[in-house]
Amino acid sequence: MPSIQVPSALRSFTGGASSVEVAATTVRDALAELDRRHPGIAAKILDRDAVKPFIRIFVGPEDIGGLAGLDTKLAERDELAIIPAIAGGRDAPDAPGGRTAPEVDRA
Amino acid sequence: MTTLRATIVGAGGLGGPIACSLGAAGVELVIADHDRVELSNLHRQIQFTAVDLDQPKAACLAGLVTARGGTARSVASRWEAETAGELGADADVVIDASDDPATKFAVADWAVASGRCYVIAAALRYGGNVMAGAPGVACYRCLFEEPIDAPTCADAGVLGPTVGAIGGVAAATALALARGDRALAGALLVFDDLRRTADPRVVRFAPRPGCPACVRAPISPVATPIRVAEVC
Repeated sequence: MPSIQVPSALRSFTGGASSVEVAATTVRDALAELDRRHPGIAAKILDRDAVKPFIRIFVGPEDIGGLAGLDTKLAERDELAIIPAIAGGRDAPDAPGGRTAPEVDRA
Repeated sequence: MTTLRATIVGAGGLGGPIACSLGAAGVELVIADHDRVELSNLHRQIQFTAVDLDQPKAACLAGLVTARGGTARSVASRWEAETAGELGADADVVIDASDDPATKFAVADWAVASGRCYVIAAALRYGGNVMAGAPGVACYRCLFEEPIDAPTCADAGVLGPTVGAIGGVAAATALALARGDRALAGALLVFDDLRRTADPRVVRFAPRPGCPACVRAPISPVATPIRVAEVC
């Protein structure tokens, strides 16, 4: 069964799970199945019928932008990775020393 | 022996380890940052101490590099269109170590237009990304089209060990590019969660047709294989 590697930024939707197996034969179906099981996550990845501009999706090593996009076929053991752009942010609320630093700061 | 030069944009948690390691390796540095040291920085920006509070970050970091025998010039400025030429003019490689998406795109766009190598480093919570850019390969704007905040970034955090690790990888990547080693050019190294594994997912991505940055500096059709190169 194909699996989706969920980036840490979206694991609040999956109960902390970093990998979710899905019964799907295309990337589009895989994301739909992921959203069925974890409602709301697809809206963070897709804008209507396109991947959001600050997110890239890879099937194994291959960027789906160079394949068939959301219609890219998935094989039984394929691993789908969702990779968002990141920049930096506030101190981690659970980070040592981070609790008293609420301002956005340079990474 | 040729002296290598690098410009580091950002003197914070990522810029600190990048500057210290490259400076100690003999790379001449320009360090740009408009900000000042705050108490809340110290737990992850370990190049600073309480003595540096309220002082310009770029000057403090350049002073540390110099005190350790390196060569560094500080500029108390953001990376902007007006300053980019002066900041990056002599650089063999430009390294973005800022926390600002718009700055990352600005650095990458300038480097592509100028035919320079560049590294875009980012850290968040327990992971991060490092992209190695060079002339002739798909660029940062090919990868992430525009500077919009990624999901939940605004509420996520930055941990000291994370920026240390990501900064080290960024420095090594920059040094390789500056020395002409293009093995990782066009690759994105993704460190998902350093608490679990330090092995990155290394991906290469397709050039994006119509990318406004690459339109000004056309991509070589043979330089962007869409396949992974597992490293480390």
